[in-house]
Amino acid sequence: MLKTIKATFLGLVSLAFVASAYADITFVSWGGAYTASQQKAYVDTWSKGSGVTVENYNGGLGEIKAQVEAGNVTWDVVDVLPDQAITGCDEGLFAKVDQSEFLNDLVVPPVSECVVPQIFWAYTAFYDKAAFPGKKPKNIKDFFDVKKFPGKRGIHTWANALIEMALVADGVKASKVYDVMSTPEGIDRAFAKLDTIKDHVVFWSAGSKPLELVSSGEVVMALAYNGRIGAAILSEGKNFEYIWDATVLEQEYLVAIKGGNEAEALEFMAHASSAVSNAEQAKYIPYGPMRKSSIGIIKKGEPWFVKEGGNIDILPHMPTTPKVLKRAVIGDPVWWADNGAEVHERFGAWKGS
Amino acid sequence: MNQTESGPILTSDGIPLKVSLKKAERINKIRAFLLVLPLLAFILVTFLVPIGDMLARSIDDRQINTVFPKTFEVYKKWDRQGLPSEEVYKTMFFEVKNSEGYDIGKASTRMNYSKSGWKSLLKKSKRKFKKIEEGPYKEQMIAAEKRWGDIEYWKALGQMVDPTTMGYYLNAVDLKYDSSKNIVQQKENRRIYNKTWFKTFKVSVLVTFFCLILAYPISYLLATLPLKYSNLLMICVLLPFWTSLLVRTVAWMVMLQQKGVFNNLMVMAGLIADENRWQLMYNQTAVIIVMTQILLPFMVLPLYSVMKTISPTYMRAALNLGASPLHAFYKIYMPNSIPGVSAGCLLVFIIAIGYYITPELVGGKDGQMVGNWIAYHLKTTLNWGLCASLGAILLAVMTVLYWAYNKIVGIENIKLG
Repeated sequence: MLKTIKATFLGLVSLAFVASAYADITFVSWGGAYTASQQKAYVDTWSKGSGVTVENYNGGLGEIKAQVEAGNVTWDVVDVLPDQAITGCDEGLFAKVDQSEFLNDLVVPPVSECVVPQIFWAYTAFYDKAAFPGKKPKNIKDFFDVKKFPGKRGIHTWANALIEMALVADGVKASKVYDVMSTPEGIDRAFAKLDTIKDHVVFWSAGSKPLELVSSGEVVMALAYNGRIGAAILSEGKNFEYIWDATVLEQEYLVAIKGGNEAEALEFMAHASSAVSNAEQAKYIPYGPMRKSSIGIIKKGEPWFVKEGGNIDILPHMPTTPKVLKRAVIGDPVWWADNGAEVHERFGAWKGS
Repeated sequence: MNQTESGPILTSDGIPLKVSLKKAERINKIRAFLLVLPLLAFILVTFLVPIGDMLARSIDDRQINTVFPKTFEVYKKWDRQGLPSEEVYKTMFFEVKNSEGYDIGKASTRMNYSKSGWKSLLKKSKRKFKKIEEGPYKEQMIAAEKRWGDIEYWKALGQMVDPTTMGYYLNAVDLKYDSSKNIVQQKENRRIYNKTWFKTFKVSVLVTFFCLILAYPISYLLATLPLKYSNLLMICVLLPFWTSLLVRTVAWMVMLQQKGVFNNLMVMAGLIADENRWQLMYNQTAVIIVMTQILLPFMVLPLYSVMKTISPTYMRAALNLGASPLHAFYKIYMPNSIPGVSAGCLLVFIIAIGYYITPELVGGKDGQMVGNWIAYHLKTTLNWGLCASLGAILLAVMTVLYWAYNKIVGIENIKLG
């Protein structure tokens, strides 16, 4: 009798030990089709012992800062935007990572010392083919031209990408956009261009909304995250068409929160940022990997996008193909980390006036 | 024997009765206090401490003063006329170059609130300053980053030289400090908060007003109808109350958007032309409509519970004595229902003024309220000082309203049932 108790006790202790050797981690991302693709590409392929719980959030550093300041960190790995990656790293919210493995394999250099690469996503204009039986809009000028293409436009409620697109529509070269934006007149010019469509816009703040707005005919064109448009076309068979002009490319990174289970988090991040994993994610959502070698893997593996009844070519839906890049604006997170608050306040004033 | 002459009354063990009683009472008092202690601690931890923390944050500017103490010392001597002297540059140079850890990162976030660009300026400078070995520093700093030669950056520092600041409060009402701490207006295209305050009050007052108009007859019916009907009506009031806020908000989107149910019906009925559909969604009108529906139960319930207690005999008596129905209502029923009206209005107004999710979802271009800006700064810019001051102003407004209400109507007249 005593023996069995002893054995059970020892068993329990060793079980507890095995369990605690690998702490479970919490991985926080944006939800929807995007998180689903990460779940399949990174979490389901993760075999290192620590369990991964996936949670959703709405972006921003507010919750992370609160957790770190209170010394009660419950998130370990978080999917963040580049300007937040900069601020969070500067303020000591994120752990520094070893970037040697991928440093020479990236399309653009990483924004801070705390990040591992995920994807390029893009603000892209799109429309429903049925809305334009005759002439179809081809570029961002057409998006800002309500005379040539009457009807409402769906745009997001914050200023990022809108300033860039407005300037390109006003004749600024995509590669010169941030030079122009760094002058006060440049911002005035962007707002003047936005004024021309102001009475024709419907604002959205949740990523699924622009698709609804275009589907229901509430607007004839909208800006949206390219992956959402791609998912609607590829998985739901929607009749949407991209306008690959002045597409604003944004970077997306993973970071480890300081004071969380850092060791496990960093290991998981190394797995989630490998060339194979990055390519794997594109099987489920058309966002462009940041690693050059991942793009090679996809090219070789086409048709890459996983669908019942036969895979589909994914590259035509990617924002990082040479064809798209030629006319795209690469978002500058440093500019936005500096000027985001000021421009956003001005944008708020513009919206309400 | 005369008791009064022989001093105080004693108990059997010789202690004065008064003392003994007090002692017994004290034990009771302590016991009673211990009973409420957990509750007191709970309120302290979950209510008073966070509010205190919020108030402290709204004036706290210590962090940056620990990063640039020497620079601020010499900065105070600057005449604000041309660029600062070599001495200011030199101190700044060393405090940037020798800074360790994350302090300078936090400081740069703070400095970016008063002048956009400080963030990258400090970050780039920190890297470039490593190469600068000896003085004079002014020219070399400007050569490394030409923004060091821009007087606007230096002027912006003046707002931060004290460990406590009213700057966040000024920011919350479209004012700011200039470099000598005089209060001036915010740049014109950044003036956004006064408008937002006005809008927030306008929406809250209108929502309260519409709730009252709609809820009064409903509550009257609820209170006067026979039980079997009023129960059904009560369910109609409570069912939406129990439904998720998000579901109700999204349902309104389907109803009110331009290609939505309402507009479609109007077009079908021929009341409006197809190309002139009403814009009822994604603007302030939408916020008022949706919030009125969502907050309606908060008006109905207090009104109902008060009206239930108004005896129907009062009205009958008034009518019997020759008053017209309108006059009887005005003289008898309405004054009796005032406690419910005021409770409902106060409740709805307080909830409405801090509303966030509905304006976020249906507010579109001009429906954003103060809560939306608090959320923005909380999450995106990390300007918690500004969030705290916006929150503190909301709190102050509520306190003033409550005080005024107490003076005019009297808080003891509030009745929730």
